[in-house]
Amino acid sequence: MKGVSPFQRRIPLASLAAASPGRVGEPWGRFGEMEKAVATLGEGAACCDWNYCGQRIAVGYADGGISVHDSPEPGSSSSFTRSSKWRAHESGIKNVIWVPPEYGDAIACVCVDGKMSLWEEVAEDSQTPTWKLCKTFESNAQVLDLQFGVSLTSLKLKSSSNIPIIPKANTTFASKVAAYSDGSVKVHELLDPLALNKWQLQAEFQNVTDSVSRFGRPSCISASIAWSPRTSESQLLRFVLGFNTDLPQFNSSKIWEFDEVHQRWLPVAELALPGDKGDRVHAVAWAPNIGRPYELIAVATCKGIAIWHLGLTPDFDGRLSTEKVALLSGHDHEVWQLEWDMSGMTLASTGADGMVRIWQSNLNGVWHEQAILDCNATQRNSKQT
Amino acid sequence: MAAAGDLMVHRFPQGKAVDAVRWLPPVSAFDRFVVAAAHDADAGVSAVEILSVALFQENEEPNKPSLLPRASWPSTSRISSLTSAKALTKPLPIALSTFAGSLHYLFVDPLEGSVESELSVAADARSFHRGPISALDLQVDGRACVSVGEDGRVNLVSLGETGLENRRVHDSRGLVSYTAVRWGSPAEFATGGLGFGIQWWDQRKPGGFVSQFKGNWTQGSTSGIVHSIDIHPSRKHICIAGGSSGTVFAWDLRWQKQPIILSGIGFKEQAQTSSEKDGMLTVLEQGYSLLFGVGDDSHAYATERFLDNILRIRP
Amino acid sequence: MPGRPSDPGDSLVPFSAEVHDPVVHPVRHGLRPPLFRVFVSWSRGNLLHVACLCQRAPAGTGVGEDGDDAARGGVGGKVVEVKLGGGGDGGISEAERRRIAYGSVPAFAMLQSRRNSLMAASRMQFSSLRAEWWQHILEYSNHIGDLLGTQKPPPKPVIGDPKMVVEPLEEPTELKAAWHLMQIFYADNESRAWLPESLVDWLEDYDGLLSMTESTIHSKLVALQKKLVDLQVIEDDPDYWQGLASALAVGWLDIVVKLLRLHGSYQPDQLDDREIENGLVEAVAVLVSTMPRLRPNLPTGKLGQCYKTKPDFVKAREKWQSHISKLDCSAFWIQCGHQQTCEGLRNLLRIMLGQFDSLHASSCHWMELYVSHFLYVQPFTAGLEGMHTLAQKCMQQKPAGSYTALTRILVGILGENTEARECDGLWVPFLLSLMVVHSIELLTADSKQADALLHEERYNLGGISIEELHRLVYAQVLSSHPLTWQIAPTYLASCQRQGLGLLEILLYKQPIRHYTMLLKDLEICRLYELENISLNVMKIAGVYHWKHGRKGFGVYWLQQAHDEVRLSRIAQQLFEHIGKSISDDSFKQWEGLIELLGSEVGSAGGLEFLHKYRDFKRSLQKVQEGRSIDAARKSTETLVQLMKSPSTPQRFWLPLLYDSVKLLNWRDRPLLTVSETNLLLNKLQELSMARLRPDFADTDLLPEALSSVRLALATNLGRAILEEC
Repeated sequence: MKGVSPFQRRIPLASLAAASPGRVGEPWGRFGEMEKAVATLGEGAACCDWNYCGQRIAVGYADGGISVHDSPEPGSSSSFTRSSKWRAHESGIKNVIWVPPEYGDAIACVCVDGKMSLWEEVAEDSQTPTWKLCKTFESNAQVLDLQFGVSLTSLKLKSSSNIPIIPKANTTFASKVAAYSDGSVKVHELLDPLALNKWQLQAEFQNVTDSVSRFGRPSCISASIAWSPRTSESQLLRFVLGFNTDLPQFNSSKIWEFDEVHQRWLPVAELALPGDKGDRVHAVAWAPNIGRPYELIAVATCKGIAIWHLGLTPDFDGRLSTEKVALLSGHDHEVWQLEWDMSGMTLASTGADGMVRIWQSNLNGVWHEQAILDCNATQRNSKQT
Repeated sequence: MAAAGDLMVHRFPQGKAVDAVRWLPPVSAFDRFVVAAAHDADAGVSAVEILSVALFQENEEPNKPSLLPRASWPSTSRISSLTSAKALTKPLPIALSTFAGSLHYLFVDPLEGSVESELSVAADARSFHRGPISALDLQVDGRACVSVGEDGRVNLVSLGETGLENRRVHDSRGLVSYTAVRWGSPAEFATGGLGFGIQWWDQRKPGGFVSQFKGNWTQGSTSGIVHSIDIHPSRKHICIAGGSSGTVFAWDLRWQKQPIILSGIGFKEQAQTSSEKDGMLTVLEQGYSLLFGVGDDSHAYATERFLDNILRIRP
Repeated sequence: MPGRPSDPGDSLVPFSAEVHDPVVHPVRHGLRPPLFRVFVSWSRGNLLHVACLCQRAPAGTGVGEDGDDAARGGVGGKVVEVKLGGGGDGGISEAERRRIAYGSVPAFAMLQSRRNSLMAASRMQFSSLRAEWWQHILEYSNHIGDLLGTQKPPPKPVIGDPKMVVEPLEEPTELKAAWHLMQIFYADNESRAWLPESLVDWLEDYDGLLSMTESTIHSKLVALQKKLVDLQVIEDDPDYWQGLASALAVGWLDIVVKLLRLHGSYQPDQLDDREIENGLVEAVAVLVSTMPRLRPNLPTGKLGQCYKTKPDFVKAREKWQSHISKLDCSAFWIQCGHQQTCEGLRNLLRIMLGQFDSLHASSCHWMELYVSHFLYVQPFTAGLEGMHTLAQKCMQQKPAGSYTALTRILVGILGENTEARECDGLWVPFLLSLMVVHSIELLTADSKQADALLHEERYNLGGISIEELHRLVYAQVLSSHPLTWQIAPTYLASCQRQGLGLLEILLYKQPIRHYTMLLKDLEICRLYELENISLNVMKIAGVYHWKHGRKGFGVYWLQQAHDEVRLSRIAQQLFEHIGKSISDDSFKQWEGLIELLGSEVGSAGGLEFLHKYRDFKRSLQKVQEGRSIDAARKSTETLVQLMKSPSTPQRFWLPLLYDSVKLLNWRDRPLLTVSETNLLLNKLQELSMARLRPDFADTDLLPEALSSVRLALATNLGRAILEEC
């Protein structure tokens, strides 16, 4: 072997940096034909949600209707067509949420009057599938937000029959957490994985770390919930919850974890610096963790979008370490939604400024705004003539 | 590959998904047509394409065959199955089914490779199939076509005086789903489905299948779905079925309980079908001398292989 | 502290203080602002769905001021799919990109497995394996290079048009050019000794790509060629001499000689009076064609004399240069009558002697100037530092007006220029990502430092190395398209830390409504031993089909998923039919389902009972059809067995008996013996006792059921006693 070659010391760092994830968006200088319209929604559309694989869109309408749009062909990015539409409620629909796919094609919808219902697509024998009402949840307080979680826990299913069929332990298991306008949080468990009408209240608590003091009834405007995305290893039931209320103790985002031993929910971390605890929370999103040594959570408050690292291992009193790694400002107004991509490397946010902002971290771990999709732009190819 | 000596693989990148590929009966020895079901995922457009294959070309180095488009017929839905009549007639019928649940007959000029006319059965959940049709097969003369679906229906579509006539042979009402079908004789056909199951049907004996093979021998480790069936041209009692993970087995109507596993997972010999491609479809041509395989990696490739030895196992 | 967090100390890439403004892209949704809401969702890979919902016309106002509603046509919103990092295709179609992506998989996989096997063997005899590794790297590099562009066709027979000096380029692509350059620098261990000559060859192949807007030597020669056809007195045209000088500057000796031979003095009718001139032209042509070159060999048709070792080369070069100097000082120039020829030829000599002004004037692009330096000024590399400084110098001499993607890569490789990093970007992201992922192998092939830099695990990146990061990013790009997602696993599998995590998510999120897609998904799960995911996916498929009327498919997938909870729920649903009169059709359906469930579900007796009950029900139906006493007897037997069996749940005792009232009241003769009737009566008694307990689950039979059963049993008992007497 010859001696050290002069080339050994250099690599084209520049060309590497060109493709760092922080640079994925860089080539956007040239957008070209990178977008296409895939679905047209009916008048009065007020909210929408995509199912787990993005092939179905459920849309809620201001008149209480719901429609479902499907992309029926396999392996095609062809457009979505409306497969059904029905009237679900008297009042307008404020939020629709897909149920995890292990429980069928079903959606929960939350109305402006605070009612909540669960709908499921079923087909008997050879009939065409139709959407049927499974259950309506009644409550005195309005439902503000609702999210479903699936976890691998030992199922404590009480069989109502005396037929000795014993369910195998360690099966997936659905929970539903809902936040209400009176500041309370309710966790429901699904009793029967094939019947979406059998739910049982598992817990009810308030989003405060101090469980002793009594608080007045806050008036809540909105709440944001995000379950920790499933992983094959983690067996823990965890979610993050933040409120937008007039009572500061309720507002800050807290991580709740189910304590198997004592069968109760405990706050294990709070995602707010001491001075910011009263900040109203507009949106939260928990990033999928594909193997990072920390969890990544985005929290939007009036001050901006904070990116938090959450430790994986609890300290002696069961709390998880937190670190705020970035505060991203961009949306001058309220943030509507935060959405992590499949790897948890890119965050998309929407806000009242009508922009979709794309955030990424560069090789040095610095978070920055990568691109903006402006939805306010007056249209060139508008339908109007 | 093991027998690299007598195997020539020619790749023809197509740029779109090729869902199925079939030979058309040859008119001349050198110029042949294949019919392919193509799906352009970018544009969301599906089509039947007729391509001419020239395996030997003048003025070119010997092993540079070409595959050139001849005609194209647009389909409104993605094509789930495609087959052509095996006997050379003019015009030549080609049948195809779609994910939307419709069935189409195309009549092709076997010399020009052009589509002359078409007939179709529209998607109808009540009278035809509900949901996608998973497989179909044409009679040798192309006058009758049997189609099966995940909905558990078996339908027979035949060329009548006025157009296509459609008749329900069986409806399992979702209890069984079929994924493959093949004619054995003008009256008999075989269907395949889950758990490597095969059913043998005889139109002269109504009221369901006449024999059935339930092959759940690989429960758990593979998905066990039959992708394609072929029936020996002269020994009608032998079916060869190809399924998930490269499983190939022979089923003999005379020894219904004892299938012969030719390859597959859990079987010592390595699977011939590359499991990476999960043999979306492997289709045999008459004479078993040319095998056209389709992977969903948007490539079509032709390989030459003799399967006679497989069929000689049980004389 | 709102705004940007500070730069962590361990910056990997110097973080420039000035921050790019993010690119703003208008979403063309065709709706009239203002919008009510915007929702987003990540679809496949990097695809983002953006749903824009319109502001609703205020209630009560009816039609908007300017016919808003009519214009909107009842549209309340649009969903737009945005491809992030997509768009500009750089002239390369989607299908072409996919071809390259697919083609590079086997090479990548092969290299990975070779690396692994070499790693396993490396402890013992590392050095001997190095050569082998270099061989693999080169093979890999050649394979990828071939994919990136069509291969150059074999040289055509040289007959043809004598005026054909420049051959048309065979669709070279920027990608291929860039890859080739990387190969020269990083992959081809052999060619390093001949690096300057490799660059000369490279430039010859790709010069035309250096700039699209400004002229290059290639474009100049192409223009000259067009002109040649009409030109009568070629040597009078300054472009001819300019072209000659340029071609010589970058070492395209064959073109130079070919052009020289077109000189008018060669024409037979003029030989007499232009002897000297012709002699000079020929002398230069000979000098050009005998130029010593430090390289192992030359392709056919190329000129020059090869020297493999430095001392030989130096000697030959000195000799050659002395020839040039001699010719330069010769007296023949004075005797030459043609002014332009004299000047042109002497310019060529100056180029060969390496005079900067001539080189500078003859080259267009800095890369050309750079290469001419190696040919005529400094034939040995003075280490990479030297090459680097030289590149900088050339860039200053010939500043480029615009950057093409290729020049950016050039700058990246030749000059480590931070600016280059800032103005990168117009590259096709898909292919860029592909290039980066595949080139890391080249970069780390022989550099410990690069190896460390690219493989060190970093907390900032979530505990992964730069190499892994690039693979993850590329896999995500691949998974954005339904035709390429299935090759992403190959790259993810090569990621040690997070590859499988992403692969799990990718597989879980695949649409599986069609079984062909499901099979693909499961097959990949099986290949990478992701049993958890495949069980989950089968469960989703099972529930989907079960709920959508394809019970067979549903049960099948749930069985494959070993989902005993759901299967036992299904079995429970079947129990609900017990005791109810059911139509023929639904009985068949019910029977079929029991058949489907098989006997494996639930180790306990639930299904065993169902199977027995099915038999009972079947024989009961036969009784109903005809009046055969045998069928009735058989049914009675089954009934007694069922009632005796401990696996029969208590709550079905009454329905069973109620079903068989007809048997108990059999007209011809009693079917039950006394002891059998007593058994049934005891069961009935037990049931009545059980009803008093609070946890008793009552069936929803009519109240008269119990009394009618009791009556029938009593009647039967009476008749049986009479018969047995």
